[in-house]
Amino acid sequence: MRARVEAAPKFLNLLQIRFPIGAIASIGHRISGVLLVLSLPLLALALDRSLHSEAEFAVLRDLVSAPWRAVLLALLVWAATHHLLAGIRHLLMDVGIGSGLSQARTSAWAAIVAAAIVALIAAARWLA
Amino acid sequence: MRLSIYRFNPETDLKPRMQDYELAPEAGDKKLLDALMRLKTIDDSLSFRRSCREGVCGSDAMNINGRNGLACLTPLVGLKEPVVLRPLPGFPVIRDLIVDMTQFFAHYHSIKPYLINDTVPPERERLQSPAEREKLNGLYECILCACCSSFCPSFWWNPDKFIGPAGLLQAYRFISDSRDTATAERLAYLDDVYRLFRCRTIMNCTEVCPKGLSPSHAIERIRQALVRESS
Amino acid sequence: MRLFLGQRAWVLQRVTALVLLFLLALGAATLLTGPPLDYERWHALATSTHGAVLIVVFFAALGLHGWIGVRDIALDYIHAPMLRLALLAVVGVLLFAIVIRVVLTMAAHFAGGA
Repeated sequence: MRARVEAAPKFLNLLQIRFPIGAIASIGHRISGVLLVLSLPLLALALDRSLHSEAEFAVLRDLVSAPWRAVLLALLVWAATHHLLAGIRHLLMDVGIGSGLSQARTSAWAAIVAAAIVALIAAARWLA
Repeated sequence: MRLSIYRFNPETDLKPRMQDYELAPEAGDKKLLDALMRLKTIDDSLSFRRSCREGVCGSDAMNINGRNGLACLTPLVGLKEPVVLRPLPGFPVIRDLIVDMTQFFAHYHSIKPYLINDTVPPERERLQSPAEREKLNGLYECILCACCSSFCPSFWWNPDKFIGPAGLLQAYRFISDSRDTATAERLAYLDDVYRLFRCRTIMNCTEVCPKGLSPSHAIERIRQALVRESS
Repeated sequence: MRLFLGQRAWVLQRVTALVLLFLLALGAATLLTGPPLDYERWHALATSTHGAVLIVVFFAALGLHGWIGVRDIALDYIHAPMLRLALLAVVGVLLFAIVIRVVLTMAAHFAGGA
Protein backbone atom coordinates (compact mmCIF):
# COMPACT_ATOMS: atom_id res chain seq x y z
CA MET A 1 0.00 0.00 0.00
CA ARG A 2 2.71 2.40 1.03
CA ALA A 3 4.84 1.71 -2.04
CA ARG A 4 1.77 2.32 -4.19
CA VAL A 5 1.12 5.77 -2.67
CA GLU A 6 4.73 6.78 -3.25
CA ALA A 7 4.54 5.72 -6.87
CA ALA A 8 1.30 7.64 -7.35
CA PRO A 9 1.16 9.89 -10.40
CA LYS A 10 0.65 13.63 -10.08
CA PHE A 11 -1.09 15.96 -12.48
CA LEU A 12 1.25 18.91 -12.92
CA ASN A 13 1.41 19.72 -16.62
CA LEU A 14 1.88 23.50 -16.60
CA LEU A 15 0.63 23.76 -20.21
CA GLN A 16 -2.72 22.31 -19.16
CA ILE A 17 -3.23 24.74 -16.31
CA ARG A 18 -4.95 28.06 -16.97
CA PHE A 19 -2.85 30.68 -15.20
CA PRO A 20 -4.39 33.90 -13.87
CA ILE A 21 -2.76 37.17 -14.99
CA GLY A 22 -1.02 37.55 -11.62
CA ALA A 23 0.86 34.32 -12.25
CA ILE A 24 1.98 35.57 -15.68
CA ALA A 25 3.25 38.81 -14.14
CA SER A 26 5.02 36.75 -11.47
CA ILE A 27 6.87 34.40 -13.81
CA GLY A 28 7.79 37.45 -15.89
CA HIS A 29 9.21 39.00 -12.72
CA ARG A 30 11.32 35.90 -12.16
CA ILE A 31 12.55 35.58 -15.77
CA SER A 32 13.39 39.29 -15.97
CA GLY A 33 15.25 39.02 -12.67
CA VAL A 34 17.42 36.21 -14.04
CA LEU A 35 18.15 38.24 -17.18
CA LEU A 36 19.16 41.23 -15.06
CA VAL A 37 21.49 39.16 -12.88
CA LEU A 38 23.08 37.72 -16.02
CA SER A 39 23.58 41.22 -17.44
CA LEU A 40 25.18 42.51 -14.25
CA PRO A 41 28.79 41.67 -15.29
CA LEU A 42 28.20 43.51 -18.59
CA LEU A 43 26.80 46.50 -16.73
CA ALA A 44 29.89 46.67 -14.48
CA LEU A 45 32.11 46.34 -17.53
CA ALA A 46 30.19 49.09 -19.35
CA LEU A 47 30.60 51.38 -16.33
CA ASP A 48 34.35 50.80 -16.37
CA ARG A 49 34.69 51.34 -20.13
CA SER A 50 32.49 54.44 -20.14
CA LEU A 51 34.85 56.23 -17.75
CA HIS A 52 38.02 55.31 -19.65
CA SER A 53 37.93 57.64 -22.61
CA GLU A 54 35.64 59.61 -24.86
CA ALA A 55 36.10 57.04 -27.63
CA GLU A 56 34.96 54.13 -25.45
CA PHE A 57 32.03 56.18 -24.17
CA ALA A 58 31.00 56.73 -27.80
CA VAL A 59 31.35 53.00 -28.56
CA LEU A 60 28.92 52.20 -25.73
CA ARG A 61 26.49 54.90 -26.82
CA ASP A 62 26.47 53.51 -30.36
CA LEU A 63 26.08 49.86 -29.30
CA VAL A 64 22.59 49.76 -30.76
CA SER A 65 23.88 50.40 -34.29
CA ALA A 66 24.02 46.66 -34.91
CA PRO A 67 20.48 45.17 -35.10
CA TRP A 68 21.28 42.05 -33.03
CA ARG A 69 22.70 44.18 -30.25
CA ALA A 70 19.69 46.49 -30.42
CA VAL A 71 17.34 43.51 -30.05
CA LEU A 72 19.38 42.20 -27.12
CA LEU A 73 19.35 45.60 -25.43
CA ALA A 74 15.61 45.95 -26.02
CA LEU A 75 15.21 42.60 -24.24
CA LEU A 76 17.16 44.01 -21.31
CA VAL A 77 15.00 47.14 -21.39
CA TRP A 78 11.95 44.86 -21.13
CA ALA A 79 13.55 42.95 -18.23
CA ALA A 80 14.45 46.12 -16.34
CA THR A 81 11.05 47.76 -16.90
CA HIS A 82 9.02 44.66 -16.07
CA HIS A 83 11.08 43.87 -12.98
CA LEU A 84 10.82 47.47 -11.81
CA LEU A 85 7.05 47.78 -12.34
CA ALA A 86 6.23 44.32 -10.97
CA GLY A 87 8.52 45.08 -8.04
CA ILE A 88 6.80 48.38 -7.23
CA ARG A 89 3.50 46.48 -7.44
CA HIS A 90 4.73 43.97 -4.86
CA LEU A 91 6.13 46.65 -2.55
CA LEU A 92 2.77 48.43 -2.55
CA MET A 93 0.85 45.20 -2.03
CA ASP A 94 3.11 44.33 0.92
CA VAL A 95 1.80 47.39 2.76
CA GLY A 96 -1.78 46.65 1.74
CA ILE A 97 -2.11 48.98 -1.26
CA GLY A 98 -3.88 47.29 -4.17
CA SER A 99 -3.69 43.81 -2.67
CA GLY A 100 -7.37 43.09 -3.31
CA LEU A 101 -7.96 40.64 -6.16
CA SER A 102 -9.46 43.00 -8.73
CA GLN A 103 -6.85 45.71 -8.15
CA ALA A 104 -4.06 43.13 -8.21
CA ARG A 105 -5.36 41.83 -11.56
CA THR A 106 -5.43 45.34 -12.99
CA SER A 107 -1.92 46.17 -11.77
CA ALA A 108 -0.59 42.86 -13.13
CA TRP A 109 -2.02 43.70 -16.56
CA ALA A 110 -0.65 47.24 -16.32
CA ALA A 111 2.89 46.05 -15.52
CA ILE A 112 2.91 43.46 -18.32
CA VAL A 113 1.53 45.82 -20.96
CA ALA A 114 3.62 48.84 -19.94
CA ALA A 115 6.87 46.85 -19.95
CA ALA A 116 6.07 45.41 -23.38
CA ILE A 117 5.29 48.87 -24.77
CA VAL A 118 8.48 50.40 -23.38
CA ALA A 119 10.57 47.57 -24.87
CA LEU A 120 8.83 47.90 -28.24
CA ILE A 121 9.41 51.65 -28.31
CA ALA A 122 13.09 51.12 -27.54
CA ALA A 123 13.40 48.44 -30.24
CA ALA A 124 11.57 50.62 -32.79
CA ARG A 125 13.79 53.62 -32.07
CA TRP A 126 17.03 51.66 -32.31
CA LEU A 127 16.12 49.53 -35.30
CA ALA A 128 14.56 52.34 -37.36
CA MET B 1 -22.27 17.69 -23.43
CA ARG B 2 -18.72 16.44 -23.96
CA LEU B 3 -16.29 15.75 -21.13
CA SER B 4 -12.67 14.65 -21.03
CA ILE B 5 -11.72 13.13 -17.70
CA TYR B 6 -8.41 12.06 -16.16
CA ARG B 7 -8.51 8.34 -15.39
CA PHE B 8 -6.08 6.34 -13.29
CA ASN B 9 -6.66 3.01 -11.61
CA PRO B 10 -3.65 2.01 -9.52
CA GLU B 11 -4.57 -1.67 -9.78
CA THR B 12 -4.58 -1.86 -13.57
CA ASP B 13 -2.91 1.28 -14.96
CA LEU B 14 0.75 2.16 -15.12
CA LYS B 15 0.00 5.66 -16.36
CA PRO B 16 -2.97 8.00 -16.21
CA ARG B 17 -5.02 8.59 -19.40
CA MET B 18 -7.79 10.91 -20.55
CA GLN B 19 -11.20 9.41 -21.29
CA ASP B 20 -13.86 11.14 -23.38
CA TYR B 21 -17.55 11.02 -22.43
CA GLU B 22 -20.76 12.12 -24.12
CA LEU B 23 -23.56 13.00 -21.77
CA ALA B 24 -27.08 14.36 -22.17
CA PRO B 25 -27.76 16.48 -19.10
CA GLU B 26 -31.33 16.48 -17.84
CA ALA B 27 -33.47 19.40 -16.74
CA GLY B 28 -32.44 19.32 -13.09
CA ASP B 29 -28.70 19.23 -13.83
CA LYS B 30 -27.44 22.66 -12.86
CA LYS B 31 -23.91 22.11 -11.57
CA LEU B 32 -20.92 20.15 -12.78
CA LEU B 33 -21.37 17.73 -9.88
CA ASP B 34 -24.88 16.87 -11.17
CA ALA B 35 -23.32 15.89 -14.50
CA LEU B 36 -20.62 13.83 -12.75
CA MET B 37 -23.25 11.99 -10.68
CA ARG B 38 -25.17 11.20 -13.90
CA LEU B 39 -21.94 10.05 -15.51
CA LYS B 40 -21.36 7.75 -12.56
CA THR B 41 -24.65 5.94 -13.36
CA ILE B 42 -23.28 5.26 -16.87
CA ASP B 43 -19.70 4.40 -15.87
CA ASP B 44 -19.55 3.33 -12.26
CA SER B 45 -15.77 2.91 -12.39
CA LEU B 46 -15.35 6.70 -12.44
CA SER B 47 -14.16 7.84 -9.01
CA PHE B 48 -14.47 11.22 -7.34
CA ARG B 49 -15.20 12.51 -3.85
CA ARG B 50 -18.38 14.35 -3.02
CA SER B 51 -20.64 14.70 -0.02
CA CYS B 52 -22.74 17.75 0.76
CA ARG B 53 -23.13 18.91 -2.89
CA GLU B 54 -23.41 22.56 -1.82
CA GLY B 55 -19.90 23.90 -1.18
CA VAL B 56 -19.68 23.20 2.52
CA CYS B 57 -17.79 19.91 2.84
CA GLY B 58 -15.07 20.79 0.35
CA SER B 59 -14.58 17.27 -0.96
CA ASP B 60 -15.23 17.68 -4.70
CA ALA B 61 -12.35 20.05 -5.47
CA MET B 62 -10.78 19.36 -8.87
CA ASN B 63 -9.11 21.04 -11.81
CA ILE B 64 -11.88 22.16 -14.15
CA ASN B 65 -10.77 23.40 -17.59
CA GLY B 66 -7.34 24.27 -16.16
CA ARG B 67 -8.57 26.02 -13.01
CA ASN B 68 -9.28 24.62 -9.58
CA GLY B 69 -12.83 24.70 -8.27
CA LEU B 70 -15.59 22.75 -6.57
CA ALA B 71 -17.70 20.69 -8.99
CA CYS B 72 -20.80 21.37 -6.87
CA LEU B 73 -20.42 25.17 -7.18
CA THR B 74 -19.48 25.24 -10.88
CA PRO B 75 -22.52 25.93 -13.09
CA LEU B 76 -22.80 23.77 -16.23
CA VAL B 77 -23.91 26.84 -18.15
CA GLY B 78 -20.88 28.64 -19.51
CA LEU B 79 -18.45 25.71 -19.23
CA LYS B 80 -16.32 25.41 -22.35
CA GLU B 81 -16.60 21.98 -24.00
CA PRO B 82 -15.15 19.48 -23.83
CA VAL B 83 -15.08 20.03 -20.10
CA VAL B 84 -11.60 18.84 -19.08
CA LEU B 85 -11.49 17.45 -15.56
CA ARG B 86 -8.24 16.57 -13.85
CA PRO B 87 -7.30 15.91 -10.21
CA LEU B 88 -5.94 18.77 -8.10
CA PRO B 89 -2.50 19.73 -9.50
CA GLY B 90 0.59 18.63 -7.61
CA PHE B 91 -1.19 16.19 -5.29
CA PRO B 92 -0.53 12.41 -5.51
CA VAL B 93 -3.41 10.73 -7.36
CA ILE B 94 -5.05 7.83 -5.57
CA ARG B 95 -7.58 7.08 -8.29
CA ASP B 96 -9.15 9.18 -11.09
CA LEU B 97 -10.09 12.54 -9.54
CA ILE B 98 -9.31 11.47 -5.97
CA VAL B 99 -6.05 12.82 -4.55
CA ASP B 100 -4.07 12.05 -1.42
CA MET B 101 -4.60 14.93 1.02
CA THR B 102 -2.32 13.53 3.78
CA GLN B 103 0.38 16.17 3.38
CA PHE B 104 -2.16 18.97 3.03
CA PHE B 105 -3.75 18.07 6.37
CA ALA B 106 -0.35 17.56 8.00
CA HIS B 107 0.42 21.20 7.19
CA TYR B 108 -2.97 22.20 8.57
CA HIS B 109 -2.31 20.38 11.84
CA SER B 110 1.20 21.84 12.07
CA ILE B 111 -0.16 25.36 12.63
CA LYS B 112 -2.17 24.15 15.67
CA PRO B 113 -5.63 24.93 14.34
CA TYR B 114 -7.28 25.31 17.73
CA LEU B 115 -7.58 27.97 20.38
CA ILE B 116 -4.63 28.12 22.78
CA ASN B 117 -5.28 29.93 26.02
CA ASP B 118 -3.57 28.98 29.27
CA THR B 119 -5.39 31.48 31.46
CA VAL B 120 -8.08 30.23 33.82
CA PRO B 121 -11.33 29.94 31.88
CA PRO B 122 -14.13 32.23 33.07
CA GLU B 123 -17.23 30.69 34.58
CA ARG B 124 -19.26 30.79 31.39
CA GLU B 125 -17.24 31.53 28.21
CA ARG B 126 -14.46 33.68 26.79
CA LEU B 127 -16.23 36.71 25.40
CA GLN B 128 -15.30 38.75 22.33
CA SER B 129 -16.42 42.24 21.43
CA PRO B 130 -18.25 42.55 18.09
CA ALA B 131 -15.12 44.26 16.70
CA GLU B 132 -12.91 41.35 17.81
CA ARG B 133 -15.33 38.83 16.31
CA GLU B 134 -15.38 40.85 13.10
CA LYS B 135 -11.66 40.12 12.61
CA LEU B 136 -12.40 36.43 12.07
CA ASN B 137 -14.65 37.10 9.08
CA GLY B 138 -13.03 36.00 5.86
CA LEU B 139 -10.90 33.49 7.78
CA TYR B 140 -13.13 31.06 9.65
CA GLU B 141 -15.16 30.19 6.51
CA CYS B 142 -12.37 28.07 4.99
CA ILE B 143 -13.59 24.53 4.22
CA LEU B 144 -10.13 23.04 3.57
CA CYS B 145 -10.98 21.95 0.03
CA ALA B 146 -7.33 22.55 -1.07
CA CYS B 147 -8.30 24.45 -4.24
CA CYS B 148 -5.86 27.21 -3.21
CA SER B 149 -2.84 25.19 -2.09
CA SER B 150 -3.00 22.94 -5.12
CA PHE B 151 -3.10 25.99 -7.44
CA CYS B 152 -0.08 27.61 -5.77
CA PRO B 153 3.24 27.26 -7.68
CA SER B 154 5.22 27.73 -4.45
CA PHE B 155 3.33 24.76 -3.01
CA TRP B 156 4.03 22.67 -6.14
CA TRP B 157 7.81 23.11 -5.74
CA ASN B 158 7.96 22.57 -1.95
CA PRO B 159 4.82 20.67 -0.93
CA ASP B 160 6.62 19.09 2.02
CA LYS B 161 8.00 22.34 3.50
CA PHE B 162 5.78 25.27 2.47
CA ILE B 163 2.61 25.34 4.59
CA GLY B 164 0.61 26.63 1.66
CA PRO B 165 -2.19 29.20 1.44
CA ALA B 166 -4.86 27.08 3.16
CA GLY B 167 -2.72 26.35 6.22
CA LEU B 168 -1.50 29.96 6.40
CA LEU B 169 -5.04 31.34 6.21
CA GLN B 170 -5.94 29.03 9.09
CA ALA B 171 -2.81 30.14 10.99
CA TYR B 172 -3.87 33.77 10.64
CA ARG B 173 -7.39 32.88 11.78
CA PHE B 174 -5.91 31.93 15.19
CA ILE B 175 -3.32 34.72 15.23
CA SER B 176 -6.10 37.27 14.90
CA ASP B 177 -8.37 35.62 17.47
CA SER B 178 -8.55 37.85 20.57
CA ARG B 179 -9.06 34.79 22.80
CA ASP B 180 -5.85 33.07 21.65
CA THR B 181 -2.75 33.76 23.74
CA ALA B 182 -0.16 31.94 21.60
CA THR B 183 0.32 34.65 18.96
CA ALA B 184 4.06 35.02 19.60
CA GLU B 185 4.67 31.26 19.37
CA ARG B 186 2.55 31.01 16.24
CA LEU B 187 4.48 33.85 14.59
CA ALA B 188 7.84 32.35 15.65
CA TYR B 189 6.82 29.04 14.06
CA LEU B 190 5.91 30.76 10.79
CA ASP B 191 9.09 32.89 10.63
CA ASP B 192 10.76 30.40 8.33
CA VAL B 193 12.15 30.56 4.84
CA TYR B 194 9.99 27.59 3.80
CA ARG B 195 6.87 27.57 5.98
CA LEU B 196 5.77 31.14 5.22
CA PHE B 197 8.33 32.82 3.00
CA ARG B 198 8.01 30.61 -0.08
CA CYS B 199 4.95 32.76 -0.86
CA ARG B 200 5.67 35.18 -3.71
CA THR B 201 2.24 36.84 -3.74
CA ILE B 202 1.28 35.22 -7.04
CA MET B 203 -2.30 35.24 -5.70
CA ASN B 204 -3.41 32.09 -7.51
CA CYS B 205 -4.92 31.07 -4.14
CA THR B 206 -7.27 34.03 -3.95
CA GLU B 207 -8.11 33.60 -7.66
CA VAL B 208 -9.57 30.12 -7.16
CA CYS B 209 -10.99 30.10 -3.60
CA PRO B 210 -14.57 28.83 -4.05
CA LYS B 211 -15.59 30.58 -0.84
CA GLY B 212 -14.27 33.96 -2.03
CA LEU B 213 -11.64 34.12 0.72
CA SER B 214 -8.21 35.69 0.35
CA PRO B 215 -5.32 33.57 1.64
CA SER B 216 -2.90 36.04 0.04
CA HIS B 217 -4.31 38.78 2.25
CA ALA B 218 -3.90 36.58 5.35
CA ILE B 219 -0.27 35.92 4.38
CA GLU B 220 0.29 39.66 3.86
CA ARG B 221 -1.02 40.30 7.40
CA ILE B 222 1.16 37.56 8.91
CA ARG B 223 4.27 39.10 7.30
CA GLN B 224 3.29 42.53 8.59
CA ALA B 225 2.79 41.09 12.08
CA LEU B 226 6.23 39.46 11.89
CA VAL B 227 7.90 42.74 10.91
CA ARG B 228 6.10 44.59 13.73
CA GLU B 229 7.05 41.84 16.18
CA SER B 230 10.77 42.09 15.39
CA SER B 231 11.05 45.88 15.21
CA MET C 1 23.11 32.24 11.38
CA ARG C 2 19.61 33.52 10.81
CA LEU C 3 20.66 36.35 8.52
CA PHE C 4 19.15 34.83 5.40
CA LEU C 5 16.45 32.72 7.01
CA GLY C 6 12.84 33.63 7.49
CA GLN C 7 11.84 37.23 7.32
CA ARG C 8 15.37 38.72 7.28
CA ALA C 9 15.97 37.84 3.63
CA TRP C 10 12.47 38.98 2.75
CA VAL C 11 12.98 42.33 4.52
CA LEU C 12 16.45 42.74 2.98
CA GLN C 13 15.01 42.08 -0.47
CA ARG C 14 12.50 44.90 0.11
CA VAL C 15 15.06 47.28 1.60
CA THR C 16 17.51 46.79 -1.29
CA ALA C 17 14.61 47.22 -3.72
CA LEU C 18 13.75 50.57 -2.13
CA VAL C 19 17.41 51.68 -2.26
CA LEU C 20 17.61 50.73 -5.96
CA LEU C 21 14.33 52.47 -6.66
CA PHE C 22 15.52 55.67 -4.98
CA LEU C 23 18.89 55.64 -6.78
CA LEU C 24 17.29 54.93 -10.16
CA ALA C 25 14.88 57.83 -9.65
CA LEU C 26 17.77 60.07 -8.60
CA GLY C 27 19.84 58.97 -11.59
CA ALA C 28 16.97 59.47 -14.01
CA ALA C 29 16.23 62.92 -12.59
CA THR C 30 19.91 63.91 -12.87
CA LEU C 31 20.34 62.65 -16.42
CA LEU C 32 17.05 64.01 -17.72
CA THR C 33 17.65 67.54 -16.38
CA GLY C 34 20.56 69.66 -17.48
CA PRO C 35 22.53 69.39 -20.72
CA PRO C 36 22.51 66.18 -22.81
CA LEU C 37 24.78 63.45 -21.52
CA ASP C 38 28.17 63.46 -23.22
CA TYR C 39 31.45 61.99 -22.02
CA GLU C 40 32.50 65.19 -20.19
CA ARG C 41 29.30 65.41 -18.16
CA TRP C 42 29.11 61.67 -17.46
CA HIS C 43 32.73 61.58 -16.29
CA ALA C 44 32.24 64.59 -14.03
CA LEU C 45 29.04 63.16 -12.51
CA ALA C 46 30.35 59.65 -11.97
CA THR C 47 33.75 60.53 -10.54
CA SER C 48 32.52 63.13 -8.05
CA THR C 49 32.36 62.01 -4.40
CA HIS C 50 28.56 61.78 -4.51
CA GLY C 51 28.50 60.02 -7.84
CA ALA C 52 31.17 57.45 -6.97
CA VAL C 53 29.65 56.59 -3.59
CA LEU C 54 26.14 56.27 -5.00
CA ILE C 55 27.33 54.07 -7.88
CA VAL C 56 29.06 51.72 -5.44
CA VAL C 57 25.96 51.66 -3.20
CA PHE C 58 23.84 50.95 -6.29
CA PHE C 59 25.92 47.95 -7.33
CA ALA C 60 26.16 46.63 -3.78
CA ALA C 61 22.36 46.78 -3.42
CA LEU C 62 22.00 45.20 -6.87
CA GLY C 63 24.33 42.34 -5.93
CA LEU C 64 22.53 41.62 -2.65
CA HIS C 65 19.07 41.92 -4.22
CA GLY C 66 20.15 39.65 -7.07
CA TRP C 67 21.58 37.04 -4.74
CA ILE C 68 18.39 36.85 -2.67
CA GLY C 69 16.44 36.45 -5.92
CA VAL C 70 18.71 33.63 -7.10
CA ARG C 71 18.38 32.03 -3.67
CA ASP C 72 14.57 32.09 -3.98
CA ILE C 73 14.76 30.47 -7.40
CA ALA C 74 17.17 27.82 -6.09
CA LEU C 75 14.92 27.06 -3.10
CA ASP C 76 12.00 26.52 -5.49
CA TYR C 77 13.54 24.55 -8.33
CA ILE C 78 16.81 22.96 -7.16
CA HIS C 79 16.31 20.31 -4.51
CA ALA C 80 19.66 18.52 -4.55
CA PRO C 81 21.39 20.08 -1.49
CA MET C 82 24.95 20.07 -2.87
CA LEU C 83 23.95 21.43 -6.26
CA ARG C 84 21.92 24.18 -4.61
CA LEU C 85 24.76 25.07 -2.25
CA ALA C 86 27.26 25.10 -5.11
CA LEU C 87 25.07 27.37 -7.25
CA LEU C 88 24.46 29.81 -4.39
CA ALA C 89 28.17 29.88 -3.52
CA VAL C 90 29.27 30.43 -7.14
CA VAL C 91 26.66 33.14 -7.77
CA GLY C 92 27.53 34.75 -4.42
CA VAL C 93 31.24 34.87 -5.22
CA LEU C 94 30.63 36.21 -8.73
CA LEU C 95 28.26 38.93 -7.53
CA PHE C 96 30.71 39.90 -4.80
CA ALA C 97 33.53 40.05 -7.36
CA ILE C 98 31.43 42.32 -9.56
CA VAL C 99 30.84 44.72 -6.68
CA ILE C 100 34.59 44.72 -5.88
CA ARG C 101 35.30 45.37 -9.56
CA VAL C 102 32.99 48.40 -9.45
CA VAL C 103 34.73 49.67 -6.31
CA LEU C 104 38.10 49.38 -8.10
CA THR C 105 36.75 51.16 -11.17
CA MET C 106 35.39 54.03 -9.13
CA ALA C 107 38.61 54.27 -7.08
CA ALA C 108 40.74 54.41 -10.25
CA HIS C 109 38.74 57.26 -11.72
CA PHE C 110 37.91 59.03 -8.48
CA ALA C 111 38.21 62.79 -8.83
CA GLY C 112 36.69 63.88 -5.55
CA GLY C 113 34.78 67.10 -5.00
CA ALA C 114 31.02 67.42 -5.08
